[in-house]
Amino acid sequence: MESQLLYNITHQEAFGIFIAVYFYLTGLSAGSFILSTLAYGFGMERYKSLGRVGVVLATVLLIIAPLFLLLHIGVPHRAWHLFVYLNFESPITWGSFLLILYPINCIIYGYFMFKEKKKQTRLFGLLGIPLAISVHGYTGFILAFGKARALWNTALMPILFLVSAIVSGIALMILVCIVKDRFFSKLKKIDYPLLENLGKMLAWVIVFDLFLVGCDILVLLISHSEAQEVAHLLLYGSFFPLFLIVENLLGKILPFILLVVPRFRNLVTIIIASLLVIIGIFFMRYVVVVGGESIPLI
Amino acid sequence: MLIDLRKCIGCNTCAVACKSENNVPLSVWRSWVKRVEKGTYPHAKEYFLPIVCNNCAKPICVTVCPVKASIQRPDGIVYVDPHRCIGCRYCMASCPYGVRHINPLTKIVEKCFWCHHRVDAGLEPACVLACPTGAILFGDRNEPQSQIAKALAENAVQVIKAELGTDPQTYYIGLDQDVVDTKETEKD
Repeated sequence: MESQLLYNITHQEAFGIFIAVYFYLTGLSAGSFILSTLAYGFGMERYKSLGRVGVVLATVLLIIAPLFLLLHIGVPHRAWHLFVYLNFESPITWGSFLLILYPINCIIYGYFMFKEKKKQTRLFGLLGIPLAISVHGYTGFILAFGKARALWNTALMPILFLVSAIVSGIALMILVCIVKDRFFSKLKKIDYPLLENLGKMLAWVIVFDLFLVGCDILVLLISHSEAQEVAHLLLYGSFFPLFLIVENLLGKILPFILLVVPRFRNLVTIIIASLLVIIGIFFMRYVVVVGGESIPLI
Repeated sequence: MLIDLRKCIGCNTCAVACKSENNVPLSVWRSWVKRVEKGTYPHAKEYFLPIVCNNCAKPICVTVCPVKASIQRPDGIVYVDPHRCIGCRYCMASCPYGVRHINPLTKIVEKCFWCHHRVDAGLEPACVLACPTGAILFGDRNEPQSQIAKALAENAVQVIKAELGTDPQTYYIGLDQDVVDTKETEKD
């Protein structure tokens, strides 16, 4: 039956860009933290130089990230309500505690690392891993609990967010290591074998990320009508350039090729690939948050 | 609440009464009338769908509110405590019916709460009172002798998006699926 909408109310945007930026920054933080624990938590000596960079990045990013939440909420001076009126059914309540515990743990872990106290560093590194996973996993739950939105309301969301966090974390770490080695180290020499190793790691995490995104889209395409609608929006609607071209082609497939084909792999392509990944994951957050809520509800 | 769409003439009186009763600012609406045209001339008809909060029995907005500002009263009405809401908009993001809005002046979330201040005083919600055709019925459906309980028992009723398991408490008589499904399409 042919039907046409004559009048309806347009809905206000609920989340939007600030939330996307917040998710992006917590993702970068969690990814950096996990990399920093490879050496100091799990004893992989090869990654030792990542430890300090990782913990500093993780802490700084996670202190900046909640500021975007304060920008987002309507009445920022009531933010203390989050710690007084608790609703343990709400992922945001879980998050308000994680956002306090995780940076504190990062600071303690970093303190012991810089004091070179191995045993304590290891303890707080290992303690920090579940915290880092939770701090980013809970952001996935925030969206997954948004049952109105087909793109968000999936059990894949927390794991998808975690994997993309690790992807962006590795890429950021590569870039920061290059800058640090080139300009701030005593030898001014870049540790290329380490970068190559991180590059390969990045490539295979990208594959897992692509797999999850593929699963998500395939299921959306055959699920209920709103799920199909949002899948069409991403595949050939107005979010097609951001989702397919920027996020997946430029942000994942191209960097993957640059990183795995030995002929292409050198310092420049590793830098380019990491930059592309970092930009791509930002648009992933943007597409999920803003694209997810751009389908009219009623 | 039960809305008899056969009686609705699309006059928007309910929406205006709501604005006036609840002091709803410009640019936002707690209730409104969606209008859809079906078919082509000469076989065309205009349909009206008055939308208010469903005051769901299993409200997702209450589940996700991090500060317990969205509250379900024992009688089932779901309302927002204006002194507690921090304006995080999580309820707006999760409500499948899009009936919540941010007040542009106070920056907190507001919604239709079936005029609970009037209900507590023994009055009907403003939209029910204002409807010129008496298309909206309000009452306790668990009270077998109430008008709404009888009407719910005697008519084929429908709710919007029953499949989401929110158990909406705003029922409609004569709800057309096409009217619910017709949405703003993306402009090419």
